[in-house]
Amino acid sequence: MSTHRLRFKLNGADRDLEVPADRLLIDLLREDCGATGTKLGCGIGVCGACSVLVDGELVSACLVPAVFVDATAIVTVEGLARDGALTPLQDSFIREGGFQCGICTPGQLIAATALLGEHPRPTRDEVRSWMMGNICRCTGYYGIERAIDRAAGAR
Amino acid sequence: MTFEYHEPRELGPALDLLARHGQDAHLIAGGTATVLLLRQGLLRPGHVIGLRRIESLGGIARTSDGGLRIGAMATHRAVERSPMARAYSPALTDAFASVATIRIRNQATVGGNLAHADPAQDPPPMLAAFGATVTARSSRGERTIPVADLAVDHFTTSLAGDEIITEVVLPPIVEGTRAAYLKFLPKTADDYATVSVAATLRLASDGTVAAASIFLGAVGPTPIRARRVEDALRGRARGDIGEAAALVGEEIDPVDDARGSSEYKRRMARVWTERTLAQLLR
Amino acid sequence: MKFTHTAMVAVPRAKVWAQVMDVPAAARCVPGVASVRPSGNGKYEGTLAVQVGPVRLVLDGDLAITARDENAGTAALRAEAKDSRVGGAIRATMSLALAEKGGETEIRIETDLAVMGRLGEFGQAVIKRKADQLMGDFAECLARQASAR
Repeated sequence: MSTHRLRFKLNGADRDLEVPADRLLIDLLREDCGATGTKLGCGIGVCGACSVLVDGELVSACLVPAVFVDATAIVTVEGLARDGALTPLQDSFIREGGFQCGICTPGQLIAATALLGEHPRPTRDEVRSWMMGNICRCTGYYGIERAIDRAAGAR
Repeated sequence: MTFEYHEPRELGPALDLLARHGQDAHLIAGGTATVLLLRQGLLRPGHVIGLRRIESLGGIARTSDGGLRIGAMATHRAVERSPMARAYSPALTDAFASVATIRIRNQATVGGNLAHADPAQDPPPMLAAFGATVTARSSRGERTIPVADLAVDHFTTSLAGDEIITEVVLPPIVEGTRAAYLKFLPKTADDYATVSVAATLRLASDGTVAAASIFLGAVGPTPIRARRVEDALRGRARGDIGEAAALVGEEIDPVDDARGSSEYKRRMARVWTERTLAQLLR
Repeated sequence: MKFTHTAMVAVPRAKVWAQVMDVPAAARCVPGVASVRPSGNGKYEGTLAVQVGPVRLVLDGDLAITARDENAGTAALRAEAKDSRVGGAIRATMSLALAEKGGETEIRIETDLAVMGRLGEFGQAVIKRKADQLMGDFAECLARQASAR
């Protein structure tokens, strides 16, 4: 097994570490970087729990080889709030009840952050088609939808 | 899984690695399919060759004759968002936009999709209906393969073991041609199709069908060309399509699975072929 | 998963029967089969290599004839094999029926196949198609061999 030196930014901080060729991004984040905010759900790219941004693009960390993130900038849920100040989206999730058990929430927040980055005032259809791949077993999705609407209005 | 990972910056070294390691090497483009195969232990290569740093494999651009060139490493989402791809045909960007979720589309590549040859994928039938070709390079040279002839069985292509898809080239669209991609999704919006229909159609000045190209996904081991439907449509007038669409059942070979029985898929193939044609003739 | 395959062979039933019951010879008619040898008690062990796209499987296992009735031209077979590299196994019970039809022989093989472990990841569509290809090639090869004898 070959090993590979990766230099990348995680939530703005420089990282430099060596990983085996078969490392996945989810394990790079959780095990090597200690960033356990990102959750592992289905492990096959379907549920959205491990959603992260790589160079601004929304991807499933469980499907991305770690070697792919050399020289990229990654944002995980830990990178949203600045100095303890929640983003409008995080604040809206709390106000609108956008979560219950919370396991899917890091992925929901990252996916919705990417959505608002591309569509600052998304239509209902845009919200639903974008968030469709982030599964939640508790909320019934209405709270998530309201939270995104509220955050979009606050922008 | 234990393997050596290589990430060449040029196509030449990638072709050399592939020629040198033969069956012991596997290419990784976006990784959505390969990572799963590696994780499940179904694929056990000694060498994995990453293509992501090879710049010549990227890009989406109109060709000088009015066609479209899509670099093999362009992601599904890059095609979906490309104004040039949309200008070529909105049906093309629709087909790419209907794949799974945004996360998958951000990662999965056009060339990787074609090389994986899963018969339930969305882009191959649409690309085939447009008459697209892929360029395959090896250390021996270069050749052009119609997308319609690329998949030969489940997960099996006509590519040689040392060939890499470098690009997909779509020919210029004949004036007056209409195109559509419809995907039947009875379960969830991010699922593979139960049946999908890609079609291009051109009307003569008298309103009859002058040319049709129809490919179905998910109802056989490869995308399937509905030749009988195409033949039956030629010369027909609009509103006269039900009979032609009914012929699709003779061309497909669906199997029973979680997305339906083969009999159900056969019926749905007829329904969705007719709907696709109706949309094109509206 | 159940499938039925039939093939017509232009030779008398007795000849086809003798051929099919010679397991090592008949097994050579299945593409990808290597090294079939008797292992006692009417059992045979061997290897079957199957390729699905980039995935190569090597199934190691054995085959037993569990019942045979030469007069009726019927036999029952059981095959079990596993791929230890990928992790997975198959178990198949097959019933074979040879019927004389106008001087020719119809070979009919009904298979009930169970696929376990990672091999199941391929999904029914792929497995059924591979089984179809194997059995189709097998029947064709038997027909060829029988006519040549």
